[in-house]
Amino acid sequence: MIELTINGQARRLDAAPDMPLLWALRDILNLTGTKYGCGIAQCGACTVHLDGQPARACQTTLADAVGKSVTTIEGLHPEGRHPVQLAWIAAQVPQCGYCQSGQIMAAAALLRETPRPTDAQIDAALEGHICRCGTYQRIRAAVHQAAAQG
Amino acid sequence: MLDRRALLQSALLVPLMADAAMAQAPAAPPPPTIAGSGANGTLSGFLRIGADGRVTLFTTTSELGQGTHTAHAQIVADELGCALEAVTVTVGQPEPALRLAGVNEMYTGASFGIRQWAPRLRRGAAAARTVLVQAAAERLSVPADSLTVADGRVVHAASNRSLGFGELAEAAARLPLPEMPAMKPASERRISGHNAPRADIPAKTRGAATYGVDVRLPGMLFAVARLPEVFGAELESFDAAPALAIPGVVQVVPIPRGLAVAATNTWAAMRGAEALVVRWKATPHDGMDSAAVSARLRAALDQPQAQRPRNDGDWEATRAAAARVVSATYEVPYLAHAPMETENATIRITGDRAEIWAPTQHQDWCVRDVAAALNIPPANVTMHTTYAGGGFGRRLHVEVAAQAAHAARALGRPVQLIWSRGDEFAQGYYRPAFAAKMEAALDASGRVTGFNIRGAGGSVMYDYRPWLFRNPNFVDPFALQSVTDTRYRFGAFRAEYARVDLPPKVWLWRSVGSSQYGFFVESFLDEVAAAANKDPLTLRRELLAHDARALAVLNLAAEKGGWGTPLPPGRYRGIAYMEAYGSLCAEVAEISITRGELTVHKVTVAYDCGDVINPDTVAAQMQGSVVWALSAMKHEAVTLKQGRAEQRNFDSYRIARISEAPVVETHIIRSGQALGGVGEPGVPPLAPAVCNAIFAATGKRIRQLPLAGQDLS
Repeated sequence: MIELTINGQARRLDAAPDMPLLWALRDILNLTGTKYGCGIAQCGACTVHLDGQPARACQTTLADAVGKSVTTIEGLHPEGRHPVQLAWIAAQVPQCGYCQSGQIMAAAALLRETPRPTDAQIDAALEGHICRCGTYQRIRAAVHQAAAQG
Repeated sequence: MLDRRALLQSALLVPLMADAAMAQAPAAPPPPTIAGSGANGTLSGFLRIGADGRVTLFTTTSELGQGTHTAHAQIVADELGCALEAVTVTVGQPEPALRLAGVNEMYTGASFGIRQWAPRLRRGAAAARTVLVQAAAERLSVPADSLTVADGRVVHAASNRSLGFGELAEAAARLPLPEMPAMKPASERRISGHNAPRADIPAKTRGAATYGVDVRLPGMLFAVARLPEVFGAELESFDAAPALAIPGVVQVVPIPRGLAVAATNTWAAMRGAEALVVRWKATPHDGMDSAAVSARLRAALDQPQAQRPRNDGDWEATRAAAARVVSATYEVPYLAHAPMETENATIRITGDRAEIWAPTQHQDWCVRDVAAALNIPPANVTMHTTYAGGGFGRRLHVEVAAQAAHAARALGRPVQLIWSRGDEFAQGYYRPAFAAKMEAALDASGRVTGFNIRGAGGSVMYDYRPWLFRNPNFVDPFALQSVTDTRYRFGAFRAEYARVDLPPKVWLWRSVGSSQYGFFVESFLDEVAAAANKDPLTLRRELLAHDARALAVLNLAAEKGGWGTPLPPGRYRGIAYMEAYGSLCAEVAEISITRGELTVHKVTVAYDCGDVINPDTVAAQMQGSVVWALSAMKHEAVTLKQGRAEQRNFDSYRIARISEAPVVETHIIRSGQALGGVGEPGVPPLAPAVCNAIFAATGKRIRQLPLAGQDLS
């Protein structure tokens, strides 16, 4: 049994310690907001927070997550109204939306460290996140918007 | 039992249904319950109005991020006379009312989500409004023409009485729908034509939107496919033991073209799929590489056999009489769609019935293939269309549906089958690798007197709808897309296509044939302009001088993009224009090159798609189209080595990142012409606009993509 703290709740999982957190979240805990995109930390779709820091859930094993606080998109804000989520709606960012959980988690982590990021800082923080629909311009605008309201 | 077909015919595709199960049945009264009598608990059609007044629109297009669900809701809310928020959109079942006329299939493609469906949705909603008003007139004992409709209520102003849609739905559903309902004039539209927030976005910011891979069923297994590495290789033998040794792996089952490893979670299934020991049969192309592909394409540019769908004037004579002939050869590689969500489908079999959940663009083919795989009638298959993590044409390919059905039957349990990212890249169904040779004839004054183009490459239509080729004279409309029907007047004009069949299957990739012909033709016209010592905009204006609509698009892009005005040092512009899917698009790209590194700073788009439902969605699609096309132009290629794709993930198939995204400024022209598409036509002009700017900056002509590895210094 592996004991984890996920979205503020203690969870016990009957899973191997080398199982990637991504698949435990999705297939055991049914927290499907965290997405599989590449499995090799190249696309960012699986980004969650580990103790507040952005982490690729596909490259984080359950053993890595033990003793840390895991936050997924479902737990970013109790009503889904984190400033980044609200800015994403206001700027009408998502198209297909599949990558956006990861984008939002990365943006929320950025704003915690850097409350007023420049374009270059936004690009640096989100460069590892592929959006195949090409919503990058709106992502940038929404991060600025969230920063202005944060 | 009602004759559903008769109902549909009499109901002009869009009967209004009430939750109370009362269909407009001219003869027999409808049954008290409607379960199973039609899709979605209605007898059929687009609309259901509940007793609470909520309107449910069972629409026909998949929501891939292109925004058609919201646009459809806008159209219906406007025409019906209710708030946008009162309309809920869901995807219906494949049935006649939701099938595209002509092909008679329910699918999403060719940028037709608005242009094909807006008129029908509008007419259907108008018919529904008409019977709601009639029902109110009877209830209130007043003439129908004394009633107005607003905010989901039918209002009799003279007596200060009103009835909500919910109160009227049951009675309205008993009335025959008018065949030609009076529709609101465009001037009275308050929702359609204006920005509306997309209904799917809030859930997508909370991780709460259900994509195909998010479907979870009781007792479901997770399966991952193991498919051939060499294109088209067939399974020879396999050893399942190494896969079965992995904890969590339950079973290895055969599926079309390969194997599926089923497990209690996807991770175990993925490891199992990798661990399987598989032998594939040899193919004739086991040694094929990209150089051989290129050689085949180039050879086809000179082969005698070709189709010639356009042949105006006498090209040979024009060429002979020309003061100057400009010629060039261009080539582009295979491209992958690389949607963020890999191929997947979830199947549950219950007796002789089955359900499929899939992020598909083609509902009818999913149902057809699942039914065939399970040997049950298509009517026994229920289609659940989920959100899709990207479409771009990829999800018109539904092979995974039948694979999942085979797996579910063999396992005796519901199963979700997914492809790994590696197979998403490696299994073909690419934008075809393509080459083109072009010649332009110029007279002594530098005027274009003729144009000759031959394209060579795989036939998308042959792999997409092979049955069309039973007619030996059939010409793949994608093979010279946006070329044979160009508005340019060249004088003599010959357009030829030489089909080249190669091992990788080819498929529809956002803007399809126009994706390569935009680059070919619009780059070449820049070469012609340079040869004639003309401004590239001037040359295009000359070729479009007869066409006010096209000129307006070109001129708007030039004006808003600052064409001909001074630029900061180191900045350069390029321009291109193309028409595709009924929309005219011109783009001006502004670039710089620093130490050989290209930066695209800004792209100005002028766009005429006739009319617009949700302007912000059009702007979003132009931003997305620019990034899509920029990514392909700069980085993307699937290359072949030893008969297989060399790219297996995003480390080797690079996609443009946020730092590369230019500012995109979109200017929409509402010309009032027939509706055009929005999802694709922004793609073709981008690569030539940028490459023409590169020529302006460096004098280097880019005739091959991607740019990666080419020296721009």
